[in-house]
Amino acid sequence: MIWQHCQLDRTVLKSDERLTLLRTEKGVVEIGENTLAVPVKLDDQRKGFVFHGKGKLLLDAIVETEEGAIGKSVEEEISEPFLMLGGTEEMQNRLTEANKEDLMKVGYENEQDLLTKAGDLCNRFFGRTGIHSHRCYDENDGFVFAFPNKSDKLDILVAKGSKLVYKSLGRVFVLNRNEAILKTPDEVAIVGNGKSFVIKKKCC
Amino acid sequence: MSCVGKFIFSVFYLIPIELRQTDVKLRTVKTELLDEIKEEMKKLREEIARLKEQLGDITEEKRRRGRGIYIDIGNHVHDYMGDVMESVAENIHGELEKSIFIGPGGVRIIRGKERPFADEEEAKVNLPKAAQIISALGEEHRLKILNALLSGGKYIDELETLSEITASTLSSHLKVLEEAGLVVQEKVRGRYLITMPGRAAYKMATRITAFIERGDRE
Repeated sequence: MIWQHCQLDRTVLKSDERLTLLRTEKGVVEIGENTLAVPVKLDDQRKGFVFHGKGKLLLDAIVETEEGAIGKSVEEEISEPFLMLGGTEEMQNRLTEANKEDLMKVGYENEQDLLTKAGDLCNRFFGRTGIHSHRCYDENDGFVFAFPNKSDKLDILVAKGSKLVYKSLGRVFVLNRNEAILKTPDEVAIVGNGKSFVIKKKCC
Repeated sequence: MSCVGKFIFSVFYLIPIELRQTDVKLRTVKTELLDEIKEEMKKLREEIARLKEQLGDITEEKRRRGRGIYIDIGNHVHDYMGDVMESVAENIHGELEKSIFIGPGGVRIIRGKERPFADEEEAKVNLPKAAQIISALGEEHRLKILNALLSGGKYIDELETLSEITASTLSSHLKVLEEAGLVVQEKVRGRYLITMPGRAAYKMATRITAFIERGDRE
């Protein structure tokens, strides 16, 4: 494992319009107007952002089998700070510097409050103990998102081209073109090459 | 009478008498035998006539029954078979633990004397949910929608064309189907998909219909 040094840029940015952070055939991540953004640096290079504002996640965690569709779409309004790694260059051109008024709109009295929350999130994601991180990121990994959930854990979404991995509480969804794996609390479904394998806890 | 006289008397007088008597006896025996033979012949003719009559009956019965041979096994054999069957029935009484249904759909074996699911599974069924599902199926347009989705996910305009339902009506029907868990919508792409329970419910509806229609015909 290559150890990466994670830091937050002290410049707080904001979105002036609704922005789409990720759009694939199965998933969409958006932020609304006036969402705050703190750049995340890995080994002194900007690799992502911590956003806080009005975020939205749409994900079709559904697999199609010969016996019918299994799973459901995830549709969540994200009101907690969340992390995005990847797509930095394009994004920073669309963000502008935030002022105190912008911070207050989201509920912060000063920059430090936001930076503290963003730092906590990064530490949780990178699993930092002391000065070492237990997770590393490379831009070839595509987009990585980390959303705090109700159980105070992180839902992870990784997307690269037609490949997608989503892990949330009790749910795992892996997609690679026409092949997919879905695990929910009630069933496990594996679909590929027009064939499917389903294990259900309860009979439908 | 002297000895010579006795000899001449027996040769010329007694022997012919004896011979005549013997001849009469032989004729009587012959006549009796002939009468017996005639009687036997008469009986044989009658027996042959009776057999011919029976043979005629058998041939007629065979012709009437078509292929195969009808054999009258008689009352004794019939009674014996009845006793055997009764004995078998007595022996298996109370021992039969399986019900077997054989139909066009295959063979179904049910263990135990109780109706399956009668007490446990059926009692566990969420009745309001069951009513919601049945209610969702109880509309022709919604069945049309499910039918259109059987071949794969569809966008709303595709469903509009296939089901010949206007967009506003279609949306309300899709909402009912979604709430019942029979259809799911992809939020990103907007396609509608039939779920596993949806497919099972549609299959159930069509099977019940076919079952009832078949019953009506019979």
